Amino acid sequence: MRRAQLLIAILFLILGLAAPLVVRSDYLFQVLFRVFLFAALGLAWNLVGGYAGQLSLGHAAYFGAGAYGLAVFSKAGIHPWLALLLGVLLAVLFAALIGGVSFRLRGPYFTLATIAFAEVLRVAAKNLAAVTGGDVGLQVPGLFVKSSGRSLYLAAVLLTAVALCITAWVSRSKFGYYLMAIREDEDTALSVGVNATRCKLRALLISAALTALGGGLYGSLFLFIVPDQVLSIDISSEMAIVAMLGGAGTFLGPLIGSVILESAAELLKNIFHEAHLLIYGLLIVLVVLFLPEGIAGTLAHRLRRKSAIAAPPFKAPGPVSS
Amino acid sequence: MALLELNRVSKRFGGLLAVNQVSFSINEGVVAFIVGPNGAGKTTLFNLIAGVFHPDEGNIHFASKEISQLSPDRAVHLGIGRTFQIVRPLRNLSVLENTMLGAFLHTRSPAKAAEEAEKVLRFLQMGNAMHLPARGLSLPMLKRLEIARALATRPKLILLDEVVAGLSTSEALALAELLRRLPEWGISAVAGVEHVMQVVMRMADRVIVLDHGTMIGEGTPQEMVRKPEVIEAYLGSKYKELGL
Ligand SMILES: Nc1ncnc2c1ncn2[C@@H]1O[C@H](COP(=O)(O)OP(=O)(O)OP(=O)(O)O)[C@@H](O)[C@H]1O
Ligand SMILES: [Mg+2]
Repeated sequence: MRRAQLLIAILFLILGLAAPLVVRSDYLFQVLFRVFLFAALGLAWNLVGGYAGQLSLGHAAYFGAGAYGLAVFSKAGIHPWLALLLGVLLAVLFAALIGGVSFRLRGPYFTLATIAFAEVLRVAAKNLAAVTGGDVGLQVPGLFVKSSGRSLYLAAVLLTAVALCITAWVSRSKFGYYLMAIREDEDTALSVGVNATRCKLRALLISAALTALGGGLYGSLFLFIVPDQVLSIDISSEMAIVAMLGGAGTFLGPLIGSVILESAAELLKNIFHEAHLLIYGLLIVLVVLFLPEGIAGTLAHRLRRKSAIAAPPFKAPGPVSS
Repeated sequence: MALLELNRVSKRFGGLLAVNQVSFSINEGVVAFIVGPNGAGKTTLFNLIAGVFHPDEGNIHFASKEISQLSPDRAVHLGIGRTFQIVRPLRNLSVLENTMLGAFLHTRSPAKAAEEAEKVLRFLQMGNAMHLPARGLSLPMLKRLEIARALATRPKLILLDEVVAGLSTSEALALAELLRRLPEWGISAVAGVEHVMQVVMRMADRVIVLDHGTMIGEGTPQEMVRKPEVIEAYLGSKYKELGL
């Protein structure tokens, strides 16, 4: 089953890379860009929110750090790609700070702390007009000079590929097992020697770096950013929802989630105009109620149950003869 | 030589003195059981040794190291393994994966951890259940899984908190038989908590009796079941019933 998942992921990436051969419309490129961007972001979130089970709703902090890093540093005369890298560093720094404080908290308190930190950054960006342009916003340089839309799209596909590779590695490493142990029961994890704080922090640093790269690509596509957009809770929740819809803590979940959610959002926007947010919200409620394990999680469950029925029933061990 | 040494250890929860000036030591090669009525402070004592709580007074030494302020994950690295009285499986992971998490203490490789976990599970006669998710297991199996996970960390001292509680007498005795073979796993001392006196009598070299957080007796199982204060505080009619 692992192999099948890997094959699906590779197929998905190949299709993504091949799309420019057939797709011509700029509009379609934008939609596809979003699909891959949020697949990558969902995968990034999944490391913390899925594998480690730490429900962050503040990932906009790292997304915004990437976008603003790119804009602010390149305005200061630094080459855009280097500026993007500095943005990633900034996000990692934020992650160390935010994680250092909020990972001391568990459950809903952790989630609230992540929201609070992202909000603080949003308000700070609104008020530090000298650096960020405040509410007026800030221009973002294009990362690519030629055929920017298509290049950014391919960059998003590449980012998804990187996020998939990292997820594949995590899901079969000791680190990944430690994250899952923390998700299942942090006290049990501690009882087998897992340094839970360090593991969670490490996952968050990786997640933040990927998220910042996504933020940079996003900013570079729109060429202009404002705090209420790249640092908003909408970004944070969309990342979480993409992963949860597809299946938090699964390898393919965020991919599936992004394909469905982003294309559905686009369709709904065209059909229902302003009402699309309402329908979007309803969809989320339905998923949470009826597919709590997400699409990939529910599918895996079904398959496993089928093979469990086929296998001989397990007999408990009898008393040992003494 | 004393592997574990508690020196006038006290732990308070608000106004409640859960553990009161407790001192004892456990030498290598010894199986010690802590007995006492519900709420006597047995689990709290284990949590103090395992680093979940830190003593308000007194200190704890393990292998000649002061461990009173150690965190639980550090305590495991020193060689203290523990089970939870109220089982705490990793529900969505398989029995094998649950046990692998213990084995990861000594290896980075999932393949090696799986190999080690498999050995432990076979020893505990759970080989057939290896690939089942922990969430569907029966209580006897969950109790064994607690032991498996702790055993896979290859501890020097293992803290078994009521691992036979809730099992039928035959299951309990079967498990006790297995636990007598723990030295094969390099375990040099066992500290257990059990209410089933048949198991305590069969396994223990030493018994420590706790009541309301205070130690009221210590000695061989035979000595303890004869001590009037101990019978009074805890064993009482139960002891007579069993006719030990
Ligand atoms: N985390 C805690 N916070 C507050 N009080 C606690 C805590 N843990 C235990 N206690 C209290 O400390 C006392 C000792 O509890 P403990 O669990 O150690 O008893 P025990 O001997 O293990 O009992 P049992 O045989 O029921 O398992 C009890 O009165 C209990 O209510
Ligand atoms: Mg107890």
